[in-house]
Amino acid sequence: MAIPSNSTKFSNILVSIVIIIITIAAIYISTTFKKMPPILKRGIQPSDFPQLICGLIIFLTILMSVFDPVQKLESVTRQTVYTFMAILLFVGLVPLDLFLSLGIFATVLAIAWGEKKFARLCCIGIAVPVSVFFLFDLAFSIRFPRGVLTNLWYG
Amino acid sequence: MSPFLAGLTTLTDPTLVFLLLCATLGGVVIGALPGLNATTGAALLLPFTLTMDPVPAIALLTAIYCSATFAGAITAILINTPGTSASATTCLDGYPMAQRGEAGRALGLAVVSSTVGGVFSVLVLMACAPILARAAYNFAPPEYFALTLFGLSMLISVGGGSAIKNLISGAFGILLATVGTDLLTSVKRFTFESPHLYDGIGFVPVMIGVFGISELIAQASRLNEKRERVTMDAIKLPSKEDYRRVWKTILRSSGIGTFIGVLPAEGATVASMIGYNEAKRWSKKPEEFGKGSPEGIAGSEAANNSATGGAMVPTLALGIPGSPTAAVILAGLLVHGLRPGPTMFTDQAEFAYAIFWSMLFVNLLFLLVGLYGARAFARVTLIPVTVLWPCVFVFSIVGAYALDQSMFDVWIAIAAGILGYFMRMYGFSVVPLAIGLILGGMLEQRLGQSMVMLDEKWWLMLSRPISLFFFILTVLALFGRPVFQLINLTKATDRGV
Repeated sequence: MAIPSNSTKFSNILVSIVIIIITIAAIYISTTFKKMPPILKRGIQPSDFPQLICGLIIFLTILMSVFDPVQKLESVTRQTVYTFMAILLFVGLVPLDLFLSLGIFATVLAIAWGEKKFARLCCIGIAVPVSVFFLFDLAFSIRFPRGVLTNLWYG
Repeated sequence: MSPFLAGLTTLTDPTLVFLLLCATLGGVVIGALPGLNATTGAALLLPFTLTMDPVPAIALLTAIYCSATFAGAITAILINTPGTSASATTCLDGYPMAQRGEAGRALGLAVVSSTVGGVFSVLVLMACAPILARAAYNFAPPEYFALTLFGLSMLISVGGGSAIKNLISGAFGILLATVGTDLLTSVKRFTFESPHLYDGIGFVPVMIGVFGISELIAQASRLNEKRERVTMDAIKLPSKEDYRRVWKTILRSSGIGTFIGVLPAEGATVASMIGYNEAKRWSKKPEEFGKGSPEGIAGSEAANNSATGGAMVPTLALGIPGSPTAAVILAGLLVHGLRPGPTMFTDQAEFAYAIFWSMLFVNLLFLLVGLYGARAFARVTLIPVTVLWPCVFVFSIVGAYALDQSMFDVWIAIAAGILGYFMRMYGFSVVPLAIGLILGGMLEQRLGQSMVMLDEKWWLMLSRPISLFFFILTVLALFGRPVFQLINLTKATDRGV
């Protein structure tokens, strides 16, 4: 068996601990579920199944950390960080207008990934969100949340 | 009129035929684009089908499934990058053949093999699904519980993760399925008093997140990958000599692919690998494999396309997805209020046969599309990622919103996308998570019903022959491979290797 590197050990411990913490939290929350009286419980209590699955996850995580350690497969590049920042920007702008934030996100992401052609940026940031909006609004009768731009159409 | 013929008459509807043509073209584009595959395509298309009737809606999803699975071969042959993971083995011989200046011949072989494989599997689907459904008609909750458990046990070999990581991912999906109001007792679980969570976590936003948004984030680290491209001569049908050489391989791989597809959760990727290996094993010229063997292309492509029809057998007859894309189609069936399972062939037989005929039609359609349009479709690989992926995000977000017209679903999709990215980063496949989410509710419901039926004596499930059969299969699926590897290791140690 190959000796795992320090970074692999760290990834393995980190991921295992995160999974186990989430699972223990889920078990704790499941103890607060209402208990049904025997006549109404229909076979199993509402908390039984989630607790069974949580127990299974903890067991498998321990197995994984020993026999199949976690390794980091994807590298985090500068563009990955920019992508996360663009998603955060999108989340922050949504209260203003969904389609405005989609257009800004798409433009920012394209620039962050190296796109420089103005025509393409206009297409991604304006034409695509506008076309998608009208496709869903007119063809599928989907009503989008009101915002700065959508109010222009909804009145 | 019998449901069999009534299903066929749905293809006389010009609107449906037009939609199928559009979906086939769309599926070929999706399959030809590296990074996008049939599962992502179906997940992104699902919200578009919400306002449609069930037949065109599900027919569209299956059309995307069949055509995208085939189209992965286009990029595999021309730029040595499989458009879908199911075409990875097609690269091995398709690209060397294309480098020899025979790209057209390679694509021709891929198109014909895919069509034969696809048609063969749909014919098997037409024949076997109703029989399987009839056999399952008398299943009681314990049998269904055992069957669902078996379906979940097959997750160990799905996707790219290891067995243990796949099981953790699948179990996490099942845990997510417990969020919301418990159907048996009406108790609210993991809802944190939020009304958005009372109905549970929706399949569609999670699928859009884990298949679409997480792939977008993953693509960010692959922007600098360079791809070589070969020029393509005019696409042409395989010669008579090619046919003579590959017809047995096509038939064998079609059978293998259909069988692999029928197994719950096993999909086109596994089928193509086995189809390719068997083609090499049976070939009279195995030394040509990896250097542009026509049998290599035929073995891989016939197998991966025949897995599509095979995967629909358990999806429609038992409600257990036969592949990751079939899981999205299963979600589509549930979203449209349909209940896959044995009753589909009694209560909604016309619908089931309409889907079968549509799949057959699509398989014939992409023969034409592949032969006459591959040259044009090969150009979609020139679409810059800086244009493609921002557009995918726009469609993902609007698609996630459209189902319930709820911004909460958008947040779920983004959260699922970020979770999916970190899962991929650490070697966990997202496919088991999605399948676990779909099957988790069924598993718990059937366990509860079984406990009521058996008076809380769960061990009585083992006294029922069909349940016992599925439990044995589950144990074999979970422990068969490690035990087999251990036996081989012991033998090797004994021999002193």
